[in-house]
Amino acid sequence: MATMEQLTLQLRETAREILESKKAAAVIGWEKGTFWYTTTPVVLTKPEDTERLVWNEYCLNNLAKYLLDFQHSNEKVAIFARGCDSRGINRLIQDKQIDRDKVLIIGLACPGMKDDKKARELGQNADIPLAKKCQECAYPDALVYDLWIGEPKEVAKPVPEAKVFPEVEAIEQMTPDDKYASFAANYEKCLRCYACRNVCPACNCKECIFGNSSKEWSAKANNLSENMFFALTRALHVAGRCIQCGECERICPVNIPIMLLNKKIIQDIDRLFGPYEAGLDPEDKMPLGSFEFTDPEEFM
Amino acid sequence: MSSCSCGHEHDQAINPLIPTRAKVIKIVEETPDVKTFFISTLDDKKPFDPNPGQLGMLSLPDIGEAMFSVTDKGENHIEMAIKAIGKLTYTLHEIEVGQEVGIRGPYGNGFPLDYFKGKDILFIGGGIGLAPVRSLIMHCLRNREDYGKLTVVYGARSKADLCFKDDLFNNWPKVPNMEVFITIDKEEEGWDGHVGFVPAYVEELAPKPQATVLCGPPIMIKFTLPILQKMGFADKDIITTLEMRMKCGIGKCGRCNIGSKYVCLDGPVFSMEELKDLPPEY
Amino acid sequence: MFTFQESEIKNLLNALAKEYKVFVPAKVGDESKFVPYDDNVELYWDRNVLLSVKDKFFPHTEPMYKFKTKRKTVEIEPLASKDEPVLLFGVRSCDLQALNCLDQVFLTKGFVDEFYRTKRDQATIVALGCNEAEDTCFCTAMGVDPQKGNGADIQAYRTQGKFGMEALTEKGQKIIDILKSYLKEENLQVPETQGFQLQPDMDGVAEKLKGMFDAELWAEVAPTCLNCGACTYICPTCHCFDISQDVRGEEGFKYRCWDSCMFEEYTLMAGGHNPRPSKKERVRNRFMHKLCYFPERYNMLLCTGCGRCLNVCPVNLHITSIIGKVKEAN
Repeated sequence: MATMEQLTLQLRETAREILESKKAAAVIGWEKGTFWYTTTPVVLTKPEDTERLVWNEYCLNNLAKYLLDFQHSNEKVAIFARGCDSRGINRLIQDKQIDRDKVLIIGLACPGMKDDKKARELGQNADIPLAKKCQECAYPDALVYDLWIGEPKEVAKPVPEAKVFPEVEAIEQMTPDDKYASFAANYEKCLRCYACRNVCPACNCKECIFGNSSKEWSAKANNLSENMFFALTRALHVAGRCIQCGECERICPVNIPIMLLNKKIIQDIDRLFGPYEAGLDPEDKMPLGSFEFTDPEEFM
Repeated sequence: MSSCSCGHEHDQAINPLIPTRAKVIKIVEETPDVKTFFISTLDDKKPFDPNPGQLGMLSLPDIGEAMFSVTDKGENHIEMAIKAIGKLTYTLHEIEVGQEVGIRGPYGNGFPLDYFKGKDILFIGGGIGLAPVRSLIMHCLRNREDYGKLTVVYGARSKADLCFKDDLFNNWPKVPNMEVFITIDKEEEGWDGHVGFVPAYVEELAPKPQATVLCGPPIMIKFTLPILQKMGFADKDIITTLEMRMKCGIGKCGRCNIGSKYVCLDGPVFSMEELKDLPPEY
Repeated sequence: MFTFQESEIKNLLNALAKEYKVFVPAKVGDESKFVPYDDNVELYWDRNVLLSVKDKFFPHTEPMYKFKTKRKTVEIEPLASKDEPVLLFGVRSCDLQALNCLDQVFLTKGFVDEFYRTKRDQATIVALGCNEAEDTCFCTAMGVDPQKGNGADIQAYRTQGKFGMEALTEKGQKIIDILKSYLKEENLQVPETQGFQLQPDMDGVAEKLKGMFDAELWAEVAPTCLNCGACTYICPTCHCFDISQDVRGEEGFKYRCWDSCMFEEYTLMAGGHNPRPSKKERVRNRFMHKLCYFPERYNMLLCTGCGRCLNVCPVNLHITSIIGKVKEAN
């Protein structure tokens, strides 16, 4: 089985060929970051720049979001994708934010990425654990692709499973006062930097209500009430669309466990509408975007 | 000196971000979407004494606050011509005389009056762009001997959209050694004046001033500048006044910068020569 | 130099807490920040805090004045600042230099920001030297001395199980006087800071950037940026703010709050025109402001090498790599 270094060479070659033959105008991938435990997403347009691409255990960033920058371009764009990236891409296609035929997806099998924060702490010689989001990953390999890097794999058609998250259940068992206290403790810290929103492939509104202060849906003031409003609104807006890539929680500067809200909603959707996992197939029906006569109607 | 709600006189701005109370004593409808507001303090004085080209922050505290140019001043009031274009300005257009407001200022560098002394000046304005320029024209009129020939070339989309009609049609044409040329964009019934865009009109008139003041929508500036340069005017003799989104008005909140200059503090008046030295980001 | 055993620190902080509101660097859950001192606080000296002291002088949200709007009348009531002597114990050189940058913004050029000035005047700052750099630190490259805070009232050091202190101003001397009974006068060898990995070369960068407004660099670098506000909010020198109001019926208050040049509506004008409509312009403006416009205006860099943005940026877009690219560019 090829190592990641060997695959990196294949990655570069594939990207170079795509740009040289003009199969796509740009390639989205990762390049080396400043430290050994970092990489940076990169958009390359010149064939000679493809030497910068890397594929290693610190390629943590989800690349799907960058497709939004090409929404209004007529050109095709190539993008490397593992499971999480491919789910993000499927989501953007489902939301009609990008056309499938404008994207050239280069599939990858992902061994799981390492925790960059722990890496920094423990040092290069230590045994670095997987990133939390990767420990919980159910679909490491690209679910949709046009090309494949490495040994082609037979990827079984994914069957969504109903999810139960122990950390969500733990909160569900709490008294309302304790639930609130835990929620408040988390969101008092929020800086409202919107990193979580900007990194999320499911957050793709052209104009976000939190980016338009004149409409006064929310205030820019930082207080618990506004922060909670932001958290709840965003969680509900991405309901049914969250692919559990875990990026929001990973990059939060103040370590808010953002995925708790998303997981709670995923759990509820599974319970109400049957097992569903976002982004597995652009053709699948979204539970909150379609209506079945068997849908629960407790209020009727 | 300014008075605030505590009733005492303070040196200008105990805190420059806090406005003083004032009231609107008169409202003039200039066009369907532009009104001039005459503002005095509660005890009928000028809220501050601006130089031509300076700005003030006007607020309805529960709605918002924005920066407007002062178009003229009287002994006991200042005037601001305001176009209804956003939340605050639409609300301002609904208020009545007697409405209290918040005001703070003066801000900005104003026009370089000494530079203009003794010169023939060409004023070019488009739409609401005449508002900041008007403060300079009024100053020249009050100190007529200090300035040479005054030429105004002004245009708007239609007759109704011409601002300061009283000045344009009644007052200014009567001033000695002053000429006013008005144009509207399209033919219109009841208008027998010039029809056409301002940049082309300027080229047609080919005035020969020693300094030019230019203010209007970005597209008008974009087309007028090359014409002025073709007519041989030096960059240092073309003065413009710029607009930006502003919040603090005192050069601290960061957003109105062009390069290392703040439009609210180092501007809004810049010469073309100064602008050439700044990044083209406005 | 005056010294005391590190194990005694709480006694000294308690003595100071009688005269000042004392803020100390502490571990709070997963973060570290300056908190009001009490005996239960988990003091944190090993590394610089994640959340800088910026918010002690320039709070995230700061009410400015109350207002009442009833029919046609408007009442305005400025909100008085708290009269409270504050002591910040353990501010690193990079964060202290950041305060010097904020001083330039808020106290100079014709208008004095009273909210900031009051807090600054009431604060006494004990700077703490760094013996070890983190991998993300690059203060020396930005002209900051990690063992000597510029503008501190007291310079403190932490070495050999002791804290050492030197008063640099009258305010600092007052602290020494308060703590006299705990202090011993002795010479303490101050170690040289070790472990810098990043050494961006700042030579000529500001001048070079002046001519790089149209450089290809920005179009190459901007696509990676997510245009969130993480770097701006975590940065100790970033100071952009917005002004808005909180209205309840006929009453309310006007406040100012942190804003970010990374947000799309930052320069959006009422008529719809936006001088920085896309990521590229905003990314370019951020780095130009830090490395070119601010030095041009105030003669100092708007980056003190604290390295927080390197830690916090979701996509690892670093000011140090930008500096490198600027130096390499034609």
